[in-house]
Amino acid sequence: MGRFLAIRLALLVPTLLGVLIVTFLLLYVAPGDPVQAMVGERADAATIARLRAELRLDDPLPLQFGRYLGKVVQGDLGQSYITGRPIVQDLVERFPATLRLAGSAMLFAAVLGIAIGIYGAWRPGSWGDRASALVAYAGVSFPVYWVGLLLILVFAVTLRWFPPSGYGGFAFLVLPAVTLGMRSVAFLSRMTRAAMQEVLRSDFVRTARAKGVKEGPVILSHALRNALLPIVTVLGLDFGSYLTGSILTETIFSWPGVGRYVLTAIEKRDLPAVQGSILFLSFVFVLVNLITDLIYAKVDPRVAYD
Amino acid sequence: MRRLLPSLLTLLAACADAGTSSGSLRYYLTADPVTLDPALSTDVQSGEVVALIYDNLVQFDVDGRLVPGLARTWESDSTGRVYTFHLRTGVTFHDGRPVTARDVEASILRALAPGSRGRQWPLEPIEGARAYAAGTAEGVSGMRVPDDTTIVFTLTEPLNIFPKFLAMPVAGIVPTPTPADFAERPVGSGPWKLVSWTHDNALLLARNDNYWGGAPKSDSIRIRIIPETSTQSAEFETGQLSVVEIPFGETARWESQHGERLQRRPAIKDLYVAINTRRGPLGDLRVRQALNMAVDVETILGTVMAGRGVRAAGAIPPGIDGHDASRAPYRYDPAEARRLLAAAGYPNGFALQLWRSQRAELARVAQAIQQNLAEVGITVEILQRDATSVRAAVRNGETDLYLGDWWADYPDPENFTWPLFHSSNHGPGGNYAFIADRTLDSLIVRLRTTIDEAEKRRLAREADARIFELAPWIFLWFPVDMWATQEGLDGWKIPLVFTGQRWTDAVAAP
Repeated sequence: MGRFLAIRLALLVPTLLGVLIVTFLLLYVAPGDPVQAMVGERADAATIARLRAELRLDDPLPLQFGRYLGKVVQGDLGQSYITGRPIVQDLVERFPATLRLAGSAMLFAAVLGIAIGIYGAWRPGSWGDRASALVAYAGVSFPVYWVGLLLILVFAVTLRWFPPSGYGGFAFLVLPAVTLGMRSVAFLSRMTRAAMQEVLRSDFVRTARAKGVKEGPVILSHALRNALLPIVTVLGLDFGSYLTGSILTETIFSWPGVGRYVLTAIEKRDLPAVQGSILFLSFVFVLVNLITDLIYAKVDPRVAYD
Repeated sequence: MRRLLPSLLTLLAACADAGTSSGSLRYYLTADPVTLDPALSTDVQSGEVVALIYDNLVQFDVDGRLVPGLARTWESDSTGRVYTFHLRTGVTFHDGRPVTARDVEASILRALAPGSRGRQWPLEPIEGARAYAAGTAEGVSGMRVPDDTTIVFTLTEPLNIFPKFLAMPVAGIVPTPTPADFAERPVGSGPWKLVSWTHDNALLLARNDNYWGGAPKSDSIRIRIIPETSTQSAEFETGQLSVVEIPFGETARWESQHGERLQRRPAIKDLYVAINTRRGPLGDLRVRQALNMAVDVETILGTVMAGRGVRAAGAIPPGIDGHDASRAPYRYDPAEARRLLAAAGYPNGFALQLWRSQRAELARVAQAIQQNLAEVGITVEILQRDATSVRAAVRNGETDLYLGDWWADYPDPENFTWPLFHSSNHGPGGNYAFIADRTLDSLIVRLRTTIDEAEKRRLAREADARIFELAPWIFLWFPVDMWATQEGLDGWKIPLVFTGQRWTDAVAAP
């Protein structure tokens, strides 16, 4: 186990280096000049030239990359071209908001998705099962944007149950979490249903039922535990992607998370902010995957990392 | 699960009252301000908040008039090169320090600091400012402080709009010395004090009880950061915002649902298509005239923008000196356009690229123009990029046509001529048409430097007529701003200039 962890952690280095190189190159070839975004309207060519020189944007690419890498290994992601604030500080400020939203969306998706999936597997072909299939299709088909605005219109503007947007307590979390979690509800319910159906057909479930175990415990403790592996996979992947920012949901709901930070940085060609956030988010993503792998071993004793 | 459900329901009930609002003012910005340090502010959002926290020597009121700020009075000498400002006495910064002419001097020096990433051009007319900003001079030779309440600026050349430059955010007056995290914890002398700022979320400002102009009528103003327009509307409709700007595409709905709460104001903005006069056929005046005649501006304005605009026959909007309401816009005449194209040697038309940013409202305008131009044989490819890419391409002269808008920083004909059409401002300066016309250049320079107001008006009119004649743009319209105000909100008006609404008179219903 320790050895596995050590290897996986060591593998983070080349992964993140690869991410760095790719983003650096992509940003370099992308059109748009960070200085143009910095100077605003009515600039003059001399100022633009001066800023380019100050930021050393005209240096050869390998030199620029080397300089950047040198700082990154010291834990310094540099400062935003636009605001001048340290990028690490910007990310530290915004990540908790993203974490809260991702966590709530995941919780919502897990509870609802798994419940629907179990029900579908338990009563396949029932009215509820068919309705849940429809919900699942809707969940993956409707664009986040549309769902978000619709929820605001219905639950905030018309019913006044929740505030339309903003950062705050539980009330502010509901609509964005539902919007963000929709897709996972859909995936999870289908995944759970399939996995559960398979398990419910197996011998040990029949045995359990035969020896008189009640239906509740059969489903929830006997069957579900054995169907968890694919569920954990989906949960892990989705959680990873939610944590790396949900640009649309954060924008619609004025949620001050990393997704919006990255979007603004890209729009303004704030190169260090884009690079820094992508590096940070890749790290988070890889870490979540690693944790998911570790959970496998907990869920299924047959999975062992040695 | 059985224990979870009741607690969830309790929580749901608890948040049912989340929609109530208190009596404080609630405003919003579409993006987080980049900074709250006046010396560094270049974006609209920063400028708006800077105007609440700081004072300038002079400032714009809600109707765009230049009014006294920290300066009680000011005057220029007969050459138009020397400006003297007399400060109010007894004004203090939020931290209690008195505001003196020394602070004004230090603030200007700070804004001109070598290597600053702020916007320095409004201060560059001061003699020696460029040298100081370039790091080759110790101080600014054209700035003198004879006593604690007087500051004298000597300019490199007469410039009648200089006082208006001093009303811009970059010339906000800050205390000296300023702490290191000043951009985050600003201290000014303005009507509002910053209480808190959580990035991308909200700013909270409390009134400055000691404000020299009288304390604001409301206790506080909360400024949310709300990027999405539909969300802004929803926040307004649930009572969470005191005011909201109405997108052009939503005009009809708001007019029918909230007609009595709407305010309209012809904006000092231009919507235009810059024709790059350096590219291929576009250098030919007849071609540019043909483009103007081929586009059915009236119909586009009516259908796409719900009529929220005043047709343009020039670049100077109504309400600004030099605007000539009697000049007729180019008439929609595709047959004449075809004839002009043929005369210029393009009977079969040609292909052009039209660049625009991703702002949704411009999409349909671009499509309409594309369709209109196709009817006279000009094939238009629309290139839609993010704002930064578009800006870079336009400034480098890589675009044929550019659909964009221009917002004035200060209400003056200079702002609609010098940056947009003077040959020294090609590219980054704002002249995206890359027009270079000696007559026009000379008119613009004279209107900048004359100290005779009547002469200035005349020159502005003449310059605008010349601009219309040269057709460096497809002249579209001057947009009309529309905002909705919350029931019971008093003392708020759409400002003409983005720094003109300081919320001092605004009172929300309790």
